[in-house]
Amino acid sequence: MLMPRKVKHRKQQRGRMTGAAKGGTSVNFGDFGIQALEPGWLTARQIEAARIAMTRHVRRGGKVWIRVFPDRPVTQKPAETRMGSGKGNPEHWVAVVKPGRVLFELAGVDQELARAAMERAIQKLPFKAKFVVRPGTHGTPEVNV
Amino acid sequence: MPEITLVAESGREPGSSSSRRLRASGRIPGVVYGHGTDPIPVSVVAREFRQAVSGDAGLNTLLDLEIDGARHLTLARDVQRHPVRGVVTHIDFLIVRRDEVIAADVPVNLVGDPIEVNHGDGIVDQQLFTLAVKAKPADIPTVIDLDISGLEIGSSIKVADISLPRGVESDTDAETVVVLGLPPRVQAAAGEGGEGEGEAEGGQAATSGEGSSEG
Repeated sequence: MLMPRKVKHRKQQRGRMTGAAKGGTSVNFGDFGIQALEPGWLTARQIEAARIAMTRHVRRGGKVWIRVFPDRPVTQKPAETRMGSGKGNPEHWVAVVKPGRVLFELAGVDQELARAAMERAIQKLPFKAKFVVRPGTHGTPEVNV
Repeated sequence: MPEITLVAESGREPGSSSSRRLRASGRIPGVVYGHGTDPIPVSVVAREFRQAVSGDAGLNTLLDLEIDGARHLTLARDVQRHPVRGVVTHIDFLIVRRDEVIAADVPVNLVGDPIEVNHGDGIVDQQLFTLAVKAKPADIPTVIDLDISGLEIGSSIKVADISLPRGVESDTDAETVVVLGLPPRVQAAAGEGGEGEGEAEGGQAATSGEGSSEG
């Protein structure tokens, strides 16, 4: 699973997820992508599950890009522990996703197969997401109004 | 390159609220500048703009912008889009002259059947989708066709291999790879062994195409 090699601080505050994604909102590497429609935390486990679902469906060929990286530690207190005694231990890693962010990209397969594979990957995500095509390719208009 | 007339309205109110109202009424706010002229805030009808850039040349279409009776030859240089809906929210129109050399990004279109790659179950990996070229507005090609029928697994086609039309130059490094023939993904045997646990991949834009071991 994806996680940082080393971090400056082991524990972080939770923060807010307001607004839309500032960057990474267009398909830049492949032909197709999965775009988040809601904000949320995407865990390393979910990223891996989505990737596996996608590559299993594609079977042969195809190249996958993962456009998010889980660099935020999430802490948890052990079960049946009294409150207090400081912050819990880092348990897993998440990527903060805001609406508009392209999470995965795919190339080297036709649109139907890509859509089917990515719909399967979307099932593994904790928020709504949609299948997107690079504008100006596969019959999509370059400009949408 | 085709030239299309587009009517723009000047004197729009600046600011986010008025721009939002403009968008709600089916117009797109924009600005016209270039050649030392003062920037002119304008707005265009969204449907007309989409129609204008829906031709073969796409966003490189020369737009004859009519603002309050005056005409300006422009190119839609910077098109801002909504991060989720993808609709155009703002356009920068750059004033150009017919006799000056300008920079433009031209889409690279792959043509031909890469027989060798297909036979080897390989992947055609396009790495460069647009090529930055310099030419006079009328000479800018709508698309650059690149024949990949001779592509083999492990070989690549570079910018140096692209033959550009007369009057068109590119500053892109000649050694930049445009398209690559990749070997097929390693397929595990029928028993889908090693689950994805050990397959840590790089971070941003990591590829999982090759080296992944599930079947």
